Formats: sequence, C-alpha cells, structure tokens
Amino acid sequence: MIKKLLLLGFFFSCAVTGTANAEGKALVLDGSTTVGPVAKSFATYFTKKYGVRVMVSESGSGNGAKSLINGSCTIAAMSRAMKDAEIAAARKKGVNPVAHVVALDGLAMVVHPGNPVRSLSKAQISSIYRGAITNWKEVGGVNSRIVVIQRESNSGTQESFKELVIGKGVQMTGNAETQSSNGSVKSRVSTTLSAIGFLGLGFVDSSVRVIAVNGVLPSVKTVKDGTYPVSRPLYFYTNGQPAGAVKQFIDLSKTVEGKGMISELGFVNR
Amino acid sequence: MNIGTRKILDRSFTAVGIGSIVVMALALMIVVVPIVYNGIGAVFFTGTVEHRKMLHAEFKRGDSQDLSSEVASSNRYRAKVYDMLTGFEADLETMAPEKKAEYQAKYSQVRTALQALLGPLPGDPEPMLTRFKYGQTRWEKAEEKLHDLLYESKWDNSNPNVMSKEYFVSRAIGFEGTSLARLFPYIKDNLENMLLPEFTFYWGFITDSSVDSHFFGGIWPEIQGTFFLAIGAMLFAFPLGVVAAVYFTEYAKPGFLNSMLRSANSTLAGVPSIVFGMFGLAFFINTMKVSESKSVIAGALTLAIMILPTIIRAAEEAILAVPKTYREASLSLGSTKWNTIATVILPAALPGILTGGVISLGRAAGETAPIIFTAAVSVGSAIGLADVFSSPTPALSWNIYNLASEHEAATQIRHVQYGMVLALVTIVLLLNLSAIVLRARISKKLKG
Repeated sequence: MIKKLLLLGFFFSCAVTGTANAEGKALVLDGSTTVGPVAKSFATYFTKKYGVRVMVSESGSGNGAKSLINGSCTIAAMSRAMKDAEIAAARKKGVNPVAHVVALDGLAMVVHPGNPVRSLSKAQISSIYRGAITNWKEVGGVNSRIVVIQRESNSGTQESFKELVIGKGVQMTGNAETQSSNGSVKSRVSTTLSAIGFLGLGFVDSSVRVIAVNGVLPSVKTVKDGTYPVSRPLYFYTNGQPAGAVKQFIDLSKTVEGKGMISELGFVNR
Repeated sequence: MNIGTRKILDRSFTAVGIGSIVVMALALMIVVVPIVYNGIGAVFFTGTVEHRKMLHAEFKRGDSQDLSSEVASSNRYRAKVYDMLTGFEADLETMAPEKKAEYQAKYSQVRTALQALLGPLPGDPEPMLTRFKYGQTRWEKAEEKLHDLLYESKWDNSNPNVMSKEYFVSRAIGFEGTSLARLFPYIKDNLENMLLPEFTFYWGFITDSSVDSHFFGGIWPEIQGTFFLAIGAMLFAFPLGVVAAVYFTEYAKPGFLNSMLRSANSTLAGVPSIVFGMFGLAFFINTMKVSESKSVIAGALTLAIMILPTIIRAAEEAILAVPKTYREASLSLGSTKWNTIATVILPAALPGILTGGVISLGRAAGETAPIIFTAAVSVGSAIGLADVFSSPTPALSWNIYNLASEHEAATQIRHVQYGMVLALVTIVLLLNLSAIVLRARISKKLKG
C-alpha cells in the first residue's frame, strides 16, 4: 500500500512536470566527442530560443554514423567525413546522408608542459606513431621513452589523424595507448611527463602544451588559411536535405550567434 | 587438541575477524568520505556575487534590490581595476614599438586571467556562452584564478637531460615601472570586496536544470532520468519476475527443461551489464523498434532484462521459505491451488520478494553500461512522462562518466561531478533503506 502510494505520488509529480515540458518533437544528436561541445552549446541555445528539446550524446563519430544509418538519430555529429562503406550501408537502408560543415578544427599535437620539445615535423610525428621513433632524445628532447597516446577506433579524430599524418592503411605502433575521448587524452597527457597525444582545438587548455607541426602552431588564422598541416572540417550529417527545425539547427553555424559560440569554444569558423 | 591450543586458535580467529572488519570499514571510509565531503560542496559552498548574478539572470531567483546594491558595491572596487586597465592601455600607445609588443603579449595574458576571475571586462563583446558571462561563482575557484593572475607559470628547462620543472614568476615584477604594477596588490587586497563571498546554500542544485552543459545550474534532469529508468525497469521486471518465480516453485515439474531454465536464469544473473546494453541496442532499438531513437522505454526494458534474474531468484527463495504448514492448512480448508498461492503464499513471501525488488531497483539506478546505447544522453532537458516512449534522457550514472572523462572542461566543474555522485549514492542508499523498513513493517503486520 505504502509503495503504491509512493509510486502514484511520484508519477503524478512527473506528469505535472511532463505537461510543462512536452512540446514539439525533440532533435536527437549522436556522434563525435570532438564536436560535442559545439553540439551541446547549440542545443542549449536552440532549446532556449525555439523551445525545441535537443538531446546530445557523445559516443564517437563511428557510432554517430551508425545511429544515422539505423535511423536512431536526427543529426550525426562527426569529426571526419563519412566513409564510402558507411555511405553504401546508408543507401542500402534508404538513408541519404548529407554533410554540412559546421566548423573547422586543427588537430593539436599536445605534450606535457614540462616537455622541452616545442616543435615536430609531420614526418617525425608519423615516425613516433609508427613506432620508428621511441625516445624523445631522437627529436631533440630529453632521454625518455615516448608514451604514445591514440584514440579508439570508433573516433573520428583518430581517423583524421591517421589520414592527415600517417597515411591510410599504415600500421600504428602496437605500443600506443588508447584513450576513449578528448578529455581523457588531455588528462593523460597533462599527468604524464613523456606523453604525446592529439586533441581537437577546442579541448586545449593550459594543462597541456601545444607543439608546432612543421613549425606552425594551430590557431584560428593558421587553421583557416590551411597553413597548419593537420586541420579538418567538423560535420553534421542529416538524412536527406534538412527541413524545419533540423535545418534551423544546422544553419545556426552560419548565424552570428552560432559563430560566436564556435569561436568561444576554441574552434574555427569556416 | 589440548585446551590451550584451542584457546589460542579461537582468539587468533577473533582477532583476524575484527581486523578484517576494521580494514573494510577503513576502505569504505576512504571511498565514502571524499564523496560526501566533495558532494556536499556542490550544494553548500562559499558563493560569490557572480553566483548570485547568475541565479538571478538564469533562474530569476534572489532579491533584485539586494543584488543591485551588492553589484554596485562590488563595481565600486572593480571600477579602479578597469581604470588601471584603460590607463595602461593609453600608456601602451605611447611606448616604443618593441617595448609595446613585449608588454602587449603579457597584458593580454593579464586580461584573460582577469576575465576568468571577474567576468567580461568593459569593452569586451557580450559572450555567447553562459560560462563566459560570469566571473568565478565559487570562492575557492576564485582563489585559484587569483593565483593564475598574480603568478605566471614557467618551465625551467636549463638541464637538457631531464624534463622541465614548473616554477612561478610574479606578474607584478614583469610590469615593474609601468602603471599596471599597482593592479596586482590592489586585486590581492580587494578581491573579497569585488566578489563578496558569502556562505551559500544552493538547493537549486537538486531541482534546477543545468546551464551551458553543467557549468552552472543543477542536476534535476539527471535525477529524474535516473528515476524514470529505474522505476520503468521495475514496472517490467517485477511482475514478470514474480510470475516466473511462482511458476518455478509451484507449477514446474522437476526435470531436464526445468533445471535448464533455472541454470539459464542463474547464468543470466552473471552476464556483464555491457552485454545487456549491446543486446538492448540490437534488439529493442534496431530490431523491435520500440522507439525511433534511444529512449527511456528502450533503456528501461534493457535494465529490466538485466535485473530480472535477480528478482526471480529473490522471489523464489522467499516463496520457498514460506512454511509448508501454511500451504497445507490452506489446501485442507478446500482452497484451490491458485487461491492458496494468491492469498496465502505470496503475502507471506512478500517481504522477501520486495527486498529483492528494491535492491534491484537500486542496481538499475546505478548501472551505466546498459543505458549508454539505449537511453542516455549527455545534455538534454528534463523530459515529461509523455516523452518516455520517444525521448532519451540524461541519467546520473552516465553523466558522471561523461563529466569525468569527456567534458571539455572536466577539471573546472569537478564539484558538479561530485554532487552527482553523492546524489546517486544517496538515491541507492535510500532505496536500500526503504527496502529494510518495508520488510520490517510488512513482517510485523503479518505476525500481528
């Protein structure tokens, strides 16, 4: 009896809050943890302005693509372009993925702030990740083994890094340690003196040191004009051309407010 | 064995027993004390005027008049800082070009540190993100930011054979001889006047939605989502589990099939929860299409399958523990089998069944893996009861993980994360406590 009363009371209270909140159909975003901050900020802004609920989950670009193909999300946030295989799988299910570039991002190579190395060439980074260089001494640093940090296979950031730095199909070193999000790469690098990792530009803060690639540091300017060699676009994917609230949401990135949010988060406007 | 050896063995066993209890209690303390201490810090803390500004602007809370007089008094002290900045900017223009460039770089660092401490400075464009609209809302964070403003972190790499060491240089020294040198002692002495820290009881942490992905505000959507998922799972699993237990204990004939079913049930209880999560995604969402996207209903069903074996086992044990005489008495009075089960056996077994149920409820509330792919999102508003069939929800367990690892500013909002942990631990503890109370009450009623 007591339990029933409690249950009843709980559901009543929920129903009351429910009627207040249930308006319109929610947008569901899934995908990249790198695009996550942008997606979350857009979501908050969008809900406030238009009263449409937006739910954001960050499970990796690969999962974002899968969700879009299965029809379980409205917008897939991805930090890499969809692969041919994914597009083919989508077509088979009658899903027509359309890419929208939201922002640009530089993949910042980060080391512990105590590491005296300030710059690496793309070839050196590639050698480090292939396992050809294993000691900081070989690239002008101190005598210490390099702790190589990579992302999980589901990550769009990992795929972009591979494509831009190492080359497709080239084997990474088996000693590379895998972290499952930008945040955990950052915390691992900031606590490990001899670590190297890569982060989306929006995740960089003073706990890690960004090093120059081919002598160029990632910044709004160098990413935008393409002089920073490891930059890439960030995407929102939709099924078919967007309309209505979905279109409004995606077009946020073209508005002054959206651009403001993107640059405050540390990413680069197109 | 003589009596002496026996006594020694007996005593040493007692000592080992007490020792292990002490070790366990210590381990529990080590886990629980920081959770409680830091978690309470999310609700009770020393808040600054920036916190009160935020509450007023985002939640329309607090007295406007008090606030405006506070803001006015804080602005009197801030005005001097802003004057020093404008003064220095004017000085910069008159400097020689190379000197100007040198100071400009250092000055922009000072401005950034000041923005973090006090919020946007005069002349700054209005920030789009709420996190940049206010200065430090918590006094202990403000003190950290004050340190960042007063001292610059540098790395000493004079020894090429070891990694550099961090050391701090006072920024005031860098600006010696300029008009900005006065700024640093002034801020150090007057920070309290600028931020007006006072003890804050922020009950909204439990009842508010988050603002700007958990930078400010509370965790109500997460708490509500946790309840929805746990209770939803119970609604499916509890009736099913009790019916299955009745079947196993009362109707099933001992035999190969029955023992297979039972061992399958026991095996299911030991399956890792992530497997249930993947199953939920593949079965409920992709195959059954219970909802278009992740949803509360899909998550609740997945959790229901996960806790079902535990409920069945608990209910079976409880039913078997009902004395045989109850059943015999009922049957001898001419009652049918079904009637006996419904009116005699189940009520007598109820305390045990409910205990199993409530403990499973606690487990459903705390599990992360089954809801990652079926129900949980990292940002979203509280959902209504009508939305459980179509909409995913934030939930405590998943959001704790998200804030700990994926959030772009995880280190800045540790207090929110601890607050969530404490909320989750409290919910699970309360559920377990209610199981104990419920059990005691019902068995008292049955006896009396």
